[in-house]
Amino acid sequence: MKQKKLKILMPTLREKERYIAFKVISEEGEEFTYSDLESAIWNTMLDFLGEEGVSKTSFWLLKDCWDQKKQIGILRCNHKSIQDIVASLGLIDRLGDNRITFKILKISGTIKSIKSSTSKKG
Amino acid sequence: MNLYDFHVHPEFSEGESSIEEIANRAKLLGYKGICFTTYLDDKNKIKKTKEIVSKLSKKIGIDIFIGFEARNASELERLIKLRRNYDVLLVKGSDLLLNRKAVQTKEVDILTHPEYNRKDSGFNHVMAKLAFENDTAIEVNFREILNSSKNTRANIMHRIKNNVELCKKYKSPIIICSGAVTYWQLKDPKVLMSMGCLLGLELNEAKKAISEIPENIIKMIKERQDEKWIRPGVKVVR
Repeated sequence: MKQKKLKILMPTLREKERYIAFKVISEEGEEFTYSDLESAIWNTMLDFLGEEGVSKTSFWLLKDCWDQKKQIGILRCNHKSIQDIVASLGLIDRLGDNRITFKILKISGTIKSIKSSTSKKG
Repeated sequence: MNLYDFHVHPEFSEGESSIEEIANRAKLLGYKGICFTTYLDDKNKIKKTKEIVSKLSKKIGIDIFIGFEARNASELERLIKLRRNYDVLLVKGSDLLLNRKAVQTKEVDILTHPEYNRKDSGFNHVMAKLAFENDTAIEVNFREILNSSKNTRANIMHRIKNNVELCKKYKSPIIICSGAVTYWQLKDPKVLMSMGCLLGLELNEAKKAISEIPENIIKMIKERQDEKWIRPGVKVVR
């Protein structure tokens, strides 16, 4: 049986989302997979913000937007927790044995505009 | 908006990365300028460092400043005497008397991490007032937070928050720096701004802490290196 879908909320009741495009800068030749990155970000955020803190951010790392060649990705959060997410990204300095740093490319309210700007920058 | 990081240690200081690596990374991250911080071991170091840095600044295309960090009172006095020869004077915080002396001295630009290695915040309302009067910026050091974890990080952040609150109340300038010792510790300006926000600053104050406050210091550097300048508050008019 097909599961019934929820009725869509009115725009005023919906959570205001923000998309953050970032680039992973690593030592030469290093390419990270989506799962490497996802676990590193989640672990750091849970350490830094705690479970309750992360729950407030509505954080999500978009799998289909991760470009492994360019090492560019997009994550989603709500508009009140941009600072928490960006500060947490800054606290990630290692991914496995490799040293990394994050460059924030753009913060936007729509995925369409962020995708177009990252494709230009990448 | 021009963004600056005024506390970076290269390999000729206590750092691990070369000045080229750091300058290239700073440019990649979008900084307009950085300040290489070192310690005064001998007088010739100032001249040598200046030569190397001016060549690199032209080559890479970002502003590079030279800063000297005083670790104790005697070093601070030596550096004050040579004040005209270099750009930025920083004082390494932690000792209470030195913190107090730093905010009392007009020549000092930045008091770095006053809460470093302490069980209290190392900074009080009297110092905050003095910092405002003498235009000494109080540093929020990102490396301190980055290199710690769990309860230590929580304690450090608590102390920094206390200092930020005092600075906001007494309108003392706050500057956010990476305090990097390797080029991997240089962080995106947005990361520094966000950390500033988590530590109690408003977004516009955090932006000011990495752009306007360093720009004010640069203005002072130019004024100080002018021939008419004699000492803080005194210059030749005619």
